[in-house]
Amino acid sequence: MSAPWLAIDTATDLASVAVGAPPGAQSGAHVQGARRHEIVQLIAFALSPLGLRPADLEGVVLGDGPGSFTGLRIGWAAAKGLVQETGLALRAVPSLMAAAAGAALKLDPVPVAACFDALRGQVYGALYVFHPGHVETLVPPAVMTIPEFADRTSVRPKLVVGDGAMRYPGEVERWSGAAPVPLESLPPLAAMLLAIVTREGAARTIDDVLTAEPVYGRLAEAQVKWEARHGRPLPDSPGASR
Amino acid sequence: MADVVLGIETSCDETSAAVLVGGRGVRSPELASLVILSQDVHQVFGGVVPELASRAHLAALPRVVDRALAEAGLGWSAVDAVAVTAGPGLVGALLVGVVYAKALAYTGGRALIGVNHLEGHLFAPAVEDPELGPPFVALLVSGGHTLLLDVPVWGRYRLLGATRDDAAGEAFDKVATLLGLGYPGGPEIERIAKHGDPARYTLPRPMRDEGFEFSFSGLKTSVLHAVRASGDLARDRPHLARGFQDAVLDVLVTKLERAVRATGYPTAVLGGGVACSRTLAALAAERLKGLARVAVASPRLNADNAAMIARAGWYRLGLGERSDWTLDARADLPLPGLEWPASPAHTPHPTSP
Repeated sequence: MSAPWLAIDTATDLASVAVGAPPGAQSGAHVQGARRHEIVQLIAFALSPLGLRPADLEGVVLGDGPGSFTGLRIGWAAAKGLVQETGLALRAVPSLMAAAAGAALKLDPVPVAACFDALRGQVYGALYVFHPGHVETLVPPAVMTIPEFADRTSVRPKLVVGDGAMRYPGEVERWSGAAPVPLESLPPLAAMLLAIVTREGAARTIDDVLTAEPVYGRLAEAQVKWEARHGRPLPDSPGASR
Repeated sequence: MADVVLGIETSCDETSAAVLVGGRGVRSPELASLVILSQDVHQVFGGVVPELASRAHLAALPRVVDRALAEAGLGWSAVDAVAVTAGPGLVGALLVGVVYAKALAYTGGRALIGVNHLEGHLFAPAVEDPELGPPFVALLVSGGHTLLLDVPVWGRYRLLGATRDDAAGEAFDKVATLLGLGYPGGPEIERIAKHGDPARYTLPRPMRDEGFEFSFSGLKTSVLHAVRASGDLARDRPHLARGFQDAVLDVLVTKLERAVRATGYPTAVLGGGVACSRTLAALAAERLKGLARVAVASPRLNADNAAMIARAGWYRLGLGERSDWTLDARADLPLPGLEWPASPAHTPHPTSP
């Protein structure tokens, strides 16, 4: 990839964008969650110093979630609006993978876990090893407690990053033997999306841009309750498999 | 002035896009297309689930916009401006439309205008009737709002009265649930009320004989008591539906008539989802005969739809207004130009008609 790509991540409380020819980022910007709705202004802010318009891009790489439901929709709605008219390529990378990459790319290929706070005592978690040409997913993104996460794999992570890890530091230290790493000490996730988008095993290509949805990580609460009460899937539900 | 405006509406559970074609010197633009996708997922809940609504909007909106452009026979290059509902409504649902609209506007170098959903409803009849314009009295009745407005000119809205508790459409939904009917409640109650005896249940008409304000929660409680007292709800259901509908519509139309008499305006506009009720339109026409013309948009323009948003946006763009990339969605977005009653001297005298 030699032409510039735009990266967008809004899965966490820090919404970020970056522009560059992967794996490098030439420009970027980020805002705190309360201003996530200004994502288009952020994109304009990142593109304008490079003299670029959306149509000049080769594609958009997007944080796929899981994470904040509202945050994910903001990033995805912006990406759909950018891509629909221009026909730009659209790829999605798990936001947890981008967070793990922020710590892992400075290290040898070692297992690194990422955890976002999913409330109710749970985290959205995943475990990766970043090899020079590809990303190995040891535990794919799922919602669970830290002990449940540890039970899913015999591999002990070298590091555990993210606000979910920071929320349960004792459990994380017992599992990994290291203190959790906050997201604030890592590069913005959008820059990491650019850094890994070309690696095998990192991205999914979005073919149907019009109807695609992020990986929310959880069903809506009302849907969970309805399905538990009725013992069958909710009819006409969007993204029921997610 | 924008020639072609793309409208987007995602404030609740309808995903909608519309294309209006206007141009310089055109007094009123023409509706080139309107696509409305209703979200069926909420029916089993008897009301809208905000998170499900937001997810469904994200999954459906780009395809709905594609179809609206195709039905208008226009490509992206023809679109000059994007008008999007910025509130009031469900904030998560609104955000999908607002952010998507901003991205479309930014990508194509288009004007962007955030539109108030209620102002959209005021403009709905004007989409079909270019001659319709102020001054008029407007009764906006939906699941979220019950407002009586004095509209001397576009953009200036004097509040005459509003509901103190439930919106009229909300009362219809809740009573439909009490009666074991489906969602949305208004059409279900109207359908079954046709078979009801109007004399079987005479329910209270709250606040009918005073002022311009509304209250429907007591009426809803009266239905609850009647349901509990009924020995055979299957038998009494149509009569209760009839009694409830008659009571709500009597209150609404009585206050509308009072407002028309107080203002002396020649036109009364009905807007919002409850205005899809043919019974309401017929009652208003009957009671205002010889007093004012009753303007009601067709049902697809009274439901939440993007044509009314594009039309209101077209008006605002014509004034030179533009939104920037900081446009946000607001659940409680105030109606622009809304004037509250300052004092009794400025309020039309609320005498009984």
